[in-house]
Amino acid sequence: MWIKASVAAAVVSVAAMALPAVASADASDDYPIPNRMLKTTCTAEQIMAAARDVEPVYYERYMIDYNNKSADVHQWVQDRIHWFYSMDYAGRRQYSENIATNAFYENLSWNWPNWAKLFFNNKGVAAHTTDICMQYPPDDMSVWNW
Amino acid sequence: MKGLRLASIVSAIAAPALVWAAPAHADPDTDFANELHTYGIYGQKDYNAWIGKIACKRLYNGVDQDADKSAKFVFLQLQKGSNTEQVWQFLGAALRTYCPDKLPILQAAAQQ
Repeated sequence: MWIKASVAAAVVSVAAMALPAVASADASDDYPIPNRMLKTTCTAEQIMAAARDVEPVYYERYMIDYNNKSADVHQWVQDRIHWFYSMDYAGRRQYSENIATNAFYENLSWNWPNWAKLFFNNKGVAAHTTDICMQYPPDDMSVWNW
Repeated sequence: MKGLRLASIVSAIAAPALVWAAPAHADPDTDFANELHTYGIYGQKDYNAWIGKIACKRLYNGVDQDADKSAKFVFLQLQKGSNTEQVWQFLGAALRTYCPDKLPILQAAAQQ
């Protein structure tokens, strides 16, 4: 009986310790989507043009990956990233929350897990591209051909 | 400044004798890295090779239309503190190694 009580107590104490430690999957203002990308007023094409100049290897690798996808996925990626940058801060922040808390939220990821890597994956890249993206034309679709 | 630019381009066109004397490797990236070392340009071999190849690609795709634009691109990618001469040497080595058919842009720049 005494043993049972202590086991029960141990279970309770473990539970008490474990509960606050349950990983919180919430998004932050900088994760999974970097803050710069939540706030920039640039278009996807401006960001890509900037990346081509100041993060050329990152851009190159993304485009190699992109070029290995089908035309359907290309269109999907363009539409999805246009949709993302068409939203205001609150909308983008909500999307960041959604993909952080629900691994199944972004259907495009099933076709291409790294579809947004050039935009969301790296804070340093996000900082470098958003620093200068305003210098580039907003609708130059040629950045998708590389 | 203009004189420095011209001298840099001319020196970039002529590969140093040391490079020609060295045996060529099966891997152009190694040759490229070895040539860069003679200019005091170090850094990651793979990274420098990427930059050299991408400089060529930008010329083929029309993103950079002349040698000055290519040099500007290279300058942005090299380590801070790299000088004008090293930028042109890098560009000359990149063109010789990865897209020799684009070498005439250096001559064109030298004649400007």
